[in-house]
Amino acid sequence: MSSEPESKPPPSRGVQPRTSRRSLAIATALGACAVAAAAAAPAIALVMAPLQDKKGGGRWVRTVKLDQLKDGAPRRVAIIDDRKDAWTVEKNVELGSVWLVRNGDQVRAFSAVCPHLGCSVNAVSADDGTSAGFACPCHTSSFDPSGKRTSGPSPRDLDVLETKIEDGHVAVDFRRFRIGVEQKVET
Amino acid sequence: MIRRAIDFIDERTGIKKLTAHLLEEPIKGGARWAYVFGSALLGAFLVQAVTGVALMTSYAPSDKTAWASVHFIQFQQAGGWLVRGIHHFGAQAMVILLGAHLVQVALFGAYRKPREVTWWLGLGLMAITLGFALTGYLLPWDQKGYWATRVATNIAGTVPLVGDATQRLLQGGGEYGSLTLTRFYTLHVVVLPALLVGLVAAHVALFRRHGVTPPASADVSRVDAFFPKQLFKDVVAALVIVAVVLALALRGHGAPLDAPADPSSDYPARPEWYFLALFQLLKYFHGPLEIVGTIVLPTLVALYLFALPLVDRSRPGSQSTALRGRIKPLVPLMIIAATAAGLTLKAQADDARDAAFQKERAKADVRAKAAVRLAMDGVPPEGPLVMLARSPELRGPELFDKHCAGCHTLGEHGEEKDRNAPKLDGWSKEGWILDLLHDPDGDARFGRTPYKGEMPSMDVKPKDADPSWTPMPAEDMKACAAFLASQGDPPGFTPPPASLRSDPKLVARGKEIVTTRCTACHLWNGEGDDGGQGLAPELSGYGSLAWVRAQIANPASKATYREDALDPERKGHMPRFDTELSAADIDLLATWVVEKSRR
Repeated sequence: MSSEPESKPPPSRGVQPRTSRRSLAIATALGACAVAAAAAAPAIALVMAPLQDKKGGGRWVRTVKLDQLKDGAPRRVAIIDDRKDAWTVEKNVELGSVWLVRNGDQVRAFSAVCPHLGCSVNAVSADDGTSAGFACPCHTSSFDPSGKRTSGPSPRDLDVLETKIEDGHVAVDFRRFRIGVEQKVET
Repeated sequence: MIRRAIDFIDERTGIKKLTAHLLEEPIKGGARWAYVFGSALLGAFLVQAVTGVALMTSYAPSDKTAWASVHFIQFQQAGGWLVRGIHHFGAQAMVILLGAHLVQVALFGAYRKPREVTWWLGLGLMAITLGFALTGYLLPWDQKGYWATRVATNIAGTVPLVGDATQRLLQGGGEYGSLTLTRFYTLHVVVLPALLVGLVAAHVALFRRHGVTPPASADVSRVDAFFPKQLFKDVVAALVIVAVVLALALRGHGAPLDAPADPSSDYPARPEWYFLALFQLLKYFHGPLEIVGTIVLPTLVALYLFALPLVDRSRPGSQSTALRGRIKPLVPLMIIAATAAGLTLKAQADDARDAAFQKERAKADVRAKAAVRLAMDGVPPEGPLVMLARSPELRGPELFDKHCAGCHTLGEHGEEKDRNAPKLDGWSKEGWILDLLHDPDGDARFGRTPYKGEMPSMDVKPKDADPSWTPMPAEDMKACAAFLASQGDPPGFTPPPASLRSDPKLVARGKEIVTTRCTACHLWNGEGDDGGQGLAPELSGYGSLAWVRAQIANPASKATYREDALDPERKGHMPRFDTELSAADIDLLATWVVEKSRR
């Protein structure tokens, strides 16, 4: 054994100053990071995918007949349309609901989603049977019949949706908005 | 033999030394009941892990299958209810034990140097446990979990800057759907357990490194070994917890299951009791201050707990170990605990006093019960909402309220003051028909309709009657009522023994009268109406499902009433609904109306 020559000559000073061990350590660390990244990067991309869904966009959905609405009496109607959810596509399912309030030939529509934290708001009637507006059963936000915030924690009024009358039916431009913020922005 | 096997393994693994290390931990100041909470938490977590894995073998996370699979576990699978009940109440036990553990550590001052990192890891474990509670609540995809969790993810959305992105990542998109469930499921069964096991290992290792923090009064010269003195106490505590959880699971026969999640419904959402304080807090911060309740105050609480060992610099073992010397840094903790308790009680008191909430809650309970019952026959692959939409019992009243209650009333449906069509309670049964024969224009019958004045009474002499007019004998009227009421019965139906139509002789007599005398105006199998008035309806099958179905679809089809029924002159007559309701909906509505008015 002793007769064997040294496998490597000792590094000559000044030519390769303290490289090998440290660079090997760095290379090893980088390699490990690369393995981790190779696994993690595509996984992260997959998990983050929902951030790239396009936001907003309404759709006109036909609801009840105009003459089924009584003047001044809010009525909850379901928004029924096709729904694509991840890998599922469904025909004519309930996507959500809106409150319709008729005033002559005009119909106002409010999203039934409370702008505070997203519970479903209810209509409230006064003792004489007339509409006293809307109230959220969760955190006591309340709104007058025109959707204006009257008390409770909601940061904004009820979200108004556009409506139009099509062949005697009320059509609603169904949209969703961000919850719990002052501005009405689509989500 | 066993000893040899153990020796064999020990020689290769060193297992004896490891076991000894685990069991011979010195407990300075002696074993105490106050130390049981950490071990009890571990025990409770093991119970959750075992029951959780068992539940996973039957649970299917998708918006079409989650509720149905939980229903299957709870109501059909052998032992499913027990496993689910233990998991449900075990989760609550963990939250309680967590609070107890935190308070014990705080009161004993066990968070102080050098145990800061142990404390912080504990806070991390608390966050993970609450994460378990939050994610698990959604998994049954019932109304309760769905709406409460929507509030929670919306709260995440109110965080400035990153809120919207956080919410989207949690939900798997802009709104709740299949991806919300798969994400919450992944968090609940993989991510959180992995984090929990990792943090528990570090937490326990650090605890072993520093040991217990005995109270100032303890005799520190006394040292017990973990086994058996402390472990015995720990096992007793875990047994008590398991016994309580088992008792609760047995009492509730599992865990509650609300109606399937329905995004278009109204629902009075409430979180699980341990989040009620946070829920109540949200009511007090209005408009732009909302974020104080959702984010700011909870964050301040978290920051305080994090900073506690940095603020309280007293050394364990010194005079100030006694609680007396550390009141100041613990004052916020006491305020937080008292406030949380107060808010929880206030939330419960508010709900107990809120009649509107109680009504909504009762409505939701009725729906939940019906859904649970319907699902006993299985849930269609389209999901439980489709099952509910196909049920006359649930869909019928909804359709009635929407399309019929503007004019008719039936039971608690429709407003008496708005009614301008017959009252449908008991419609087409003997009593109703007898009343009709006597006084067709009675308020509950044609009195408020455009048919008022069209049908003559059978036993009250009309003003313009000719001299030959005689009232119909009471026995004949009974016979008519018996026969007509029998027309509504489905084939093979046995009428209730006390009813007129249970007497075959009376029915036969009625048939003779109806088919010979009533057909002067009415139709019988399409024939009759000798005078050609075109007003009086078909009497064969009157009150039956087919008759009601035909009447709802189109009252002018001759199967019930005739062309004249929709004559614009006869304003206020029942409209046709086959233009706006599907055949399936008409069938559901008719089924429910027949059931409700005749049973």
